[in-house]
Amino acid sequence: MSMHQSATTKSGGPRFSRRGFLGASGGLVIAFALFGPEAATAAAPGAPAGAADGAITPPPAGKLYAWLAVNPDNTATLFTGKVETGTGVGTALAQIAAEELDFPLDRLDVVMGTTSETVDQGPSYGSRTIRYAGPQIRQAAAAGRLVLLRLAAAHFNAPVDRLVARNGTISPTGAPDKRITYGALVAGKRLDYEIGASGTQFGMRVAPDVRPKDPARYTIVGRPVPRKDIPGKMTGAFTYIQDVRVPGTLHGRVVRPYGVGARLISVDESGLKDIPGFVRLVRRENFLGVVAETEWGAIQAAAKLGSILNPSGPDKGQAKWSAWNDLPAMDRIWETVRHAPGADTTKVSRGAVDAALAGAARKITATYRTPFQMHGSIGPSCAIADVRGDRAIFWSATQMPHEARQVMAQLLGIPAERIELRWFEGAGGYGRNGFDHVNADAALMSQAVGRPVRVQWMRWDEHGWEPKGPAIVQDLEGALGANGQVTAWRHHMWVPTTSDKQLIAAALIGEPEIGGKTGRGRAAVTYAYTFPNADVACHGEGRVGLLTAWLRSPAQFETTFAMESFIDELAAAAGQDPLAFRLAHLADPRATGVLRAAAEAYGWQSRPAGAARTTGGGPAKGRGVAWVNRDDVRVATILDLTVDRESGAIKVGRVVVAHDCGLVINPDGLKNQVEGNVIQSLSRTLHEEVAFDSAHVTSRDWVGYPILRFAEIPDNIEVVLVNNSPQYPAYGAGEPATCPTAAAVGNAVFDATGSRLRQTPFRPDRVKAAFS
Amino acid sequence: MLQQTTLHVNGEDRVVTIAPDTPLLYVLRDTLGLRGPKFGCGLGECGACTVIMNGAAIRSCVTPAAATKGAKIVTLEGLGTSAKPHPVQKAFIAEQAAQCGYCINGMIMTAAAFLEREPHPSRAAIIAALNANLCRCGTHMRIVRAVERAARERA
Repeated sequence: MSMHQSATTKSGGPRFSRRGFLGASGGLVIAFALFGPEAATAAAPGAPAGAADGAITPPPAGKLYAWLAVNPDNTATLFTGKVETGTGVGTALAQIAAEELDFPLDRLDVVMGTTSETVDQGPSYGSRTIRYAGPQIRQAAAAGRLVLLRLAAAHFNAPVDRLVARNGTISPTGAPDKRITYGALVAGKRLDYEIGASGTQFGMRVAPDVRPKDPARYTIVGRPVPRKDIPGKMTGAFTYIQDVRVPGTLHGRVVRPYGVGARLISVDESGLKDIPGFVRLVRRENFLGVVAETEWGAIQAAAKLGSILNPSGPDKGQAKWSAWNDLPAMDRIWETVRHAPGADTTKVSRGAVDAALAGAARKITATYRTPFQMHGSIGPSCAIADVRGDRAIFWSATQMPHEARQVMAQLLGIPAERIELRWFEGAGGYGRNGFDHVNADAALMSQAVGRPVRVQWMRWDEHGWEPKGPAIVQDLEGALGANGQVTAWRHHMWVPTTSDKQLIAAALIGEPEIGGKTGRGRAAVTYAYTFPNADVACHGEGRVGLLTAWLRSPAQFETTFAMESFIDELAAAAGQDPLAFRLAHLADPRATGVLRAAAEAYGWQSRPAGAARTTGGGPAKGRGVAWVNRDDVRVATILDLTVDRESGAIKVGRVVVAHDCGLVINPDGLKNQVEGNVIQSLSRTLHEEVAFDSAHVTSRDWVGYPILRFAEIPDNIEVVLVNNSPQYPAYGAGEPATCPTAAAVGNAVFDATGSRLRQTPFRPDRVKAAFS
Repeated sequence: MLQQTTLHVNGEDRVVTIAPDTPLLYVLRDTLGLRGPKFGCGLGECGACTVIMNGAAIRSCVTPAAATKGAKIVTLEGLGTSAKPHPVQKAFIAEQAAQCGYCINGMIMTAAAFLEREPHPSRAAIIAALNANLCRCGTHMRIVRAVERAARERA
């Protein structure tokens, strides 16, 4: 869609917003204006499409139309650079806007991510959407309400303070029958009003001079509203990125190297032409792809070259790769991590830990190990690119559309102003999965063939090549005084990067610097205990073995496992109740608040771990507690479980989560998130470990990388909201409830059996081994 | 080698020209423009591609289209619409049983076929019926509640 048409979109008239257009046509075909007839007639022959200078840029953040459009039928559209990843933020952001606008939520549409239509509010990750974009949207909508009141003041010839805005209409005070709709006031015009904006992305301030609504008057924020996206997702009406169809599109598939770092030696093309619809190979250095008229044709061609579930060697497919076997040994990955080069940072340094340890009445040490894990999106990564000369359009589900546009500009050597990224939701991503990488794959293939190319990864591409969460090793030492108080605490962690932005395709074409830096692992831990002597430090590393990136609660899922298991070890050594032991060593009132709230809801009876333990065969029952402070959100999880002593299998019964993320926008949406975090993290706790040999990841499907199934879900999950009040900011809730699960499960297993689990996943064989 | 085949999808005969070994999923999505059935794994492991064939939930990603000739195929779109949802779809909406929703096609189609067979299931039976379907967002609790609600409301 050109800038000219974008302007039309925001001026209203017929609802030309992209979703409106799709709804109206009921079809899958997306208008194709950048190269299409509309653009051609709008521009002089030979001139680039789009604006006069060919630029296709985001709208200016300081203009009201960058955020809002009001249509004559009294519907409205909220535009945001944030994107939906399945967490319900689309609805929550709409609630914030509708609240400030005094506008009905069901008449407010949300357009997300598309770079020509939205402001760059930063990537949608790290539980930062409600927290940072929420206030930006609140201010923009409040400014919009003020504009509408001023228009109404002119219409009614009355001062603004004698007008009442309600549910999308404005009327003079005391004369509710004389009302006019927002749509009639705006009368199809673009909302070309300066509202002011400064800063960028997360730090952007929008309409700073406007005073938002008094939260005491909230009627939409804080209510459990149904999510806007759900009905369409239940009926097939919703358009995922995988559903987007662009006329003239070819289907592409990648053929990745057998060994992660292998070179492409040769490609035997025989038989490819016999595949119905086969078009051609795309080869650039070690990047290899196939393009066909049909999806099945592309899949078959890729299979011939070696893209199959279980390839048997670097030269067994028709694409021949060099022998490459440089991945570190899987069973010794933690030693490799421990000895990887990196830099040390100190997180906490308090008192004299060595002296306290030396003089302690009781001292314990432990090492915690966690494996590579994957995002494991149910829908593999998919994108469409249409690269034509010095212009390009992407259809993408990336969690960072504005940044992806810049990265694609680098990759293609095209100015970002000539690139538009049209965002569509994908399957849940949970961090940086393959969505950004598949953009690059599609870009290279489209650039080579001069037509739009839709690339969808095969399951083994996703499992094998998506960036993983890294393997981490952590050493802990603690000392107890004579009175059972903790006198010293040492937590040292070895953490490979979780912020690697290198693009797979860019590396394969020999330009690994495109896309971004590898980064270095950080001390992903929020230490809150009040021990007099504490030493928390991180050895932060770059890439160790596999390509990694952020995976839900990057590294803090792992550090919370170690920290909250080890405090349990100390509590047990002191013979104390693990909840009381934590409370005795915490000063943070929000931390103790969630722990107490969870305990009350659960009905926690004070006793040391193991005090209710039964011996002999049969099932063993236990309970566990753990908590976290992630990004200012406090979460306490208490759960109980049964361990089958014969098989080592763990079955979780009841889970109680006390969650303090401040003001909750949509309580049902939040509960959905918390339940999801619990189950996904339970899956990571019990099952998940990426396997690899010296050449590549061998967990290439759901058999090789099992996740939690229905038969293993808890009996129930209860969510208690703490400090859900407008006096607190709305912090983000996409990730934090993931963190405590592994420790809570491990602590419950200890309570049940006396065996301490210090390595995830807690597979039955490992649990059984811990018994002996 | 392309062949003409007639498929019976959502109550209509559809004539398609396809390579005969093409899995049903690609014909439904790419040739017929349906989007309920999803590509998840292509290996029959996750259930995202599930459709109902002659009353049974099947994995369309590993079912050759040519082998479905003469069979009655129903996709998510054929089950119901947003305006007139099937009881199972209605129950999933009422329970807000989705996060990203990519797996939900499989959950709904599996549940719909299951409830036809077993209209008054126990929770354990529902869990067993869904156990071969994967959800990554962790919406399981709500999905089970939605199937329980659908069973209740169909009765």
